[in-house]
Amino acid sequence: MNASPEAVKGSHRSGGATLFALSARSVTKRFPGVLANDDVDFDLAAGEVHTLLGENGAGKSTLASVLCGLYRPDQGAVLRNGTQVRLSSPRHGLQHGIAMVHQHFRLVDRFSVAENVVLGDKRLSFFIDQDSINDRVSRIAEEFGLPIDPLAVVGELSAGQRQRVEIIKALYQGAEILLLDEPTALLAPPEVEKLFETVRTMAKAGKSVVFVSHKLGEVVDISDRITVMRDGKVTGSVGRGEADTRKLAELMVGREIDLSPRKAKAPAGGTMLKLHNVSLHRDGVAVVDNVSLEVRAGEIVGVAGVSGNGQRDLAELVAGLQSPTGGVITVDGREMNGAGTREMRANGLAYVPEDRLGTGLSPSLSIIDNMVLTRPRGLLVDRKAAGAEAERYITELEIKTPSPHTATRKLSGGNSQKVLLAREIFAQSDTTKVLVVCSPTRGLDVGAVETVHKVLDEARTKGKAVLLISEDLDEVLTLADKILVLYRGAVVHSADSNALDIEKVGLAMAGIS
Amino acid sequence: MIVGGYRIELEPRLKSPRWLVYVVPVVSLLFAFVVAGIFLLGTGHNPFTTYGKLIDKGYTSYYGITDTLGLATPLICTGLAAAFAFRMNLFNIGEEGQMYLGMIGAAWAGIVLADNLPGVAAVPVVMLSGAAFGALWVLVPAVLRARLGTSEIVSTLLLNYVALNLVNFLIFGSRTLWRDPSPFPDGQLVADSARLDRFGTTNVYPTLLIAAILAVFLWLFMRFSNYGYETSVFADSPNTARYAGMSASRLTVSVLLSSGALAGLAGSMYVVGPAGKVDPGLLQVGLGYAGIVVAALARYNFVAVILTAVLFAGLRVGGAALQISSDPVPIAIATVIQGAVLLFALGGEMFRKNRLRVRRIAGSPVRGAA
Repeated sequence: MNASPEAVKGSHRSGGATLFALSARSVTKRFPGVLANDDVDFDLAAGEVHTLLGENGAGKSTLASVLCGLYRPDQGAVLRNGTQVRLSSPRHGLQHGIAMVHQHFRLVDRFSVAENVVLGDKRLSFFIDQDSINDRVSRIAEEFGLPIDPLAVVGELSAGQRQRVEIIKALYQGAEILLLDEPTALLAPPEVEKLFETVRTMAKAGKSVVFVSHKLGEVVDISDRITVMRDGKVTGSVGRGEADTRKLAELMVGREIDLSPRKAKAPAGGTMLKLHNVSLHRDGVAVVDNVSLEVRAGEIVGVAGVSGNGQRDLAELVAGLQSPTGGVITVDGREMNGAGTREMRANGLAYVPEDRLGTGLSPSLSIIDNMVLTRPRGLLVDRKAAGAEAERYITELEIKTPSPHTATRKLSGGNSQKVLLAREIFAQSDTTKVLVVCSPTRGLDVGAVETVHKVLDEARTKGKAVLLISEDLDEVLTLADKILVLYRGAVVHSADSNALDIEKVGLAMAGIS
Repeated sequence: MIVGGYRIELEPRLKSPRWLVYVVPVVSLLFAFVVAGIFLLGTGHNPFTTYGKLIDKGYTSYYGITDTLGLATPLICTGLAAAFAFRMNLFNIGEEGQMYLGMIGAAWAGIVLADNLPGVAAVPVVMLSGAAFGALWVLVPAVLRARLGTSEIVSTLLLNYVALNLVNFLIFGSRTLWRDPSPFPDGQLVADSARLDRFGTTNVYPTLLIAAILAVFLWLFMRFSNYGYETSVFADSPNTARYAGMSASRLTVSVLLSSGALAGLAGSMYVVGPAGKVDPGLLQVGLGYAGIVVAALARYNFVAVILTAVLFAGLRVGGAALQISSDPVPIAIATVIQGAVLLFALGGEMFRKNRLRVRRIAGSPVRGAA
């Protein structure tokens, strides 16, 4: 288990003869209270696909931002083809052929694809020749396998298509080096496959690609080299075929991680949550379309699907935040149609929303105050009991916080999720029968993912009925005993976890059945 | 900002040391006096004697401080009104108008009801009537905001002008029960039982204690009650409030009505205290708008409102006194001093939350080295 640090330390510099397309030399970058990059070396060869792997806050995005000119390093240098460059802005970086595609796209929704691509291009004349631009966009798109209609309006495109626009834009601007920040975060499995093909094509054409990612599983295949960061430092750099996911996870987290599947060990009990033909129509569109499902005590039912296919509405219907326009929701044998969220809770339902900081928690309020958010409160708020409770969960779940009085927005994603889980799952453990949990590990560190999975597994063992709605297919596959696929608000596929055809699930997520 | 080889940046503080809370306001005040001092020098006044006089007439002399406390009394209430709403991100700009309505409501109760009430009940009834009128004045903006999302900033502000003209109409334009029957346009006095005696020969009324107690009560109530908890969740994150099953419209309406009631109370304090009637003189003072400034200075802390109201009232009283001293300072300059103090006090906030950092830009030559 000891990844020998000598073997993987540092970069793949070979005797100084090779000129790397892009390098970082001893880059140090500080933010108030954080050493985001600590003496980091990084080398990118031409035609190489190089992944920067690390947990949130490991400093990989900071390094990418330094490499593209968004941040200036406090110390150290950026080298392009062996010569030091002082990048003062992303535009300046672009002049050196370096472009970054951010996780949150920077496109104008009302503009067409072609207009977005040429936006900011100083070579354009005053009068824009639409046809020639459309032509060039189509040509780039074809060359790199990025199918897109140059006349389509960006606001109507899917996340995957928007990402293609961003990549085309970078290529149009003459990028030789592409930095992709968490590029798969918003994509469905087939779209990810498509993106990887594009990346391979670009590498073949001599362009270099830097993948910034915290998802272990997907990067191994695509990368020629993986550099792992932790706490602002490079902990290792391994070439293709030199590392498996377990070793990489260890480099990322600094200890061994268990993300193996967890399934129910005992047969499930009686039905606790039942949806019968539940629909929600909004503006004439069925955002939740005739969904029927059952969750029994002691099982986890996973709802997979690409983001934006009605997951949120489905969760809010079950949680009582919205009323269905059709169908029946039954919790523990009681019909709950039209019941508000407080009634739902009183009947034993707990809800962990996807947006933890903006919905599940009150960001400026302390951990203690957040513990009482979904409790019945008297005229006065009993902070004494909540305080004791908060202290207990801080110890039990190893929540890293200066004190229980700390505002939840100051906690890391993993720690705030633990606060939310503690409140929803543990604190009322006697009365809670049904748990609705949405994307509980989105954006979390591998270590925190492990904890969350353990917590959900424990809840199942204790006999709770868990409805797990997640955009992360791996997570659903890891935890769920039964899997449903949601596409455009409807359940298009369902299977038991022990009789599962993963390919079918992937296709169903993309709407192909 | 880059100066020479140095980069000057504002950096958020990770922790604000406790002492900064006290030091920043003091330093801000000093800076304000320096800036205003430049104006004073420019207009041929000695800044030190002027400040000495300002402080004496505003704070340290017997009649200075008592006048200040008298003026601060309704100001505390309008400050609490603004703080109450602003804390929940509801920007009630209509304290001025709600205060006028409080005056109208208090005078009505003082004229019509007070004579039929037992003596001890008269003052509380008059005060509550004023508060109710102030709350009613914000009812329509509150419901519009809660139901339709109409901006309460615009609606409450516009109603100020309606309220202003309502007072003018009652006193100058009509013969209602608020107007004294004599030919000279003035408000009708309320019953004697509806008025409080001032302390000695000062301008301080027992309402000062009511205002101060109210501030402390609000501080405790909002800190420990479920209502205070729900409003703080709603102010922080409306989505979270919805998730927890709190009613947004109930909270919005109740907060705005409470804010209006507090502003109305300022008007009734004016009636049971110095005025005893609907007094058009109140229209000149701008205590409602000043309440917003007072609340902002106090960072919407209810107890701190007491202090900032006294600070603000003292600047008013002292500034007015400067005009009639032996070396009269024009009111415009007195206003400049007030403005500078407020501006710097608000600006100082930035330094409590951030820190100035001066860093040498990497690569630029070090002076004196090789």
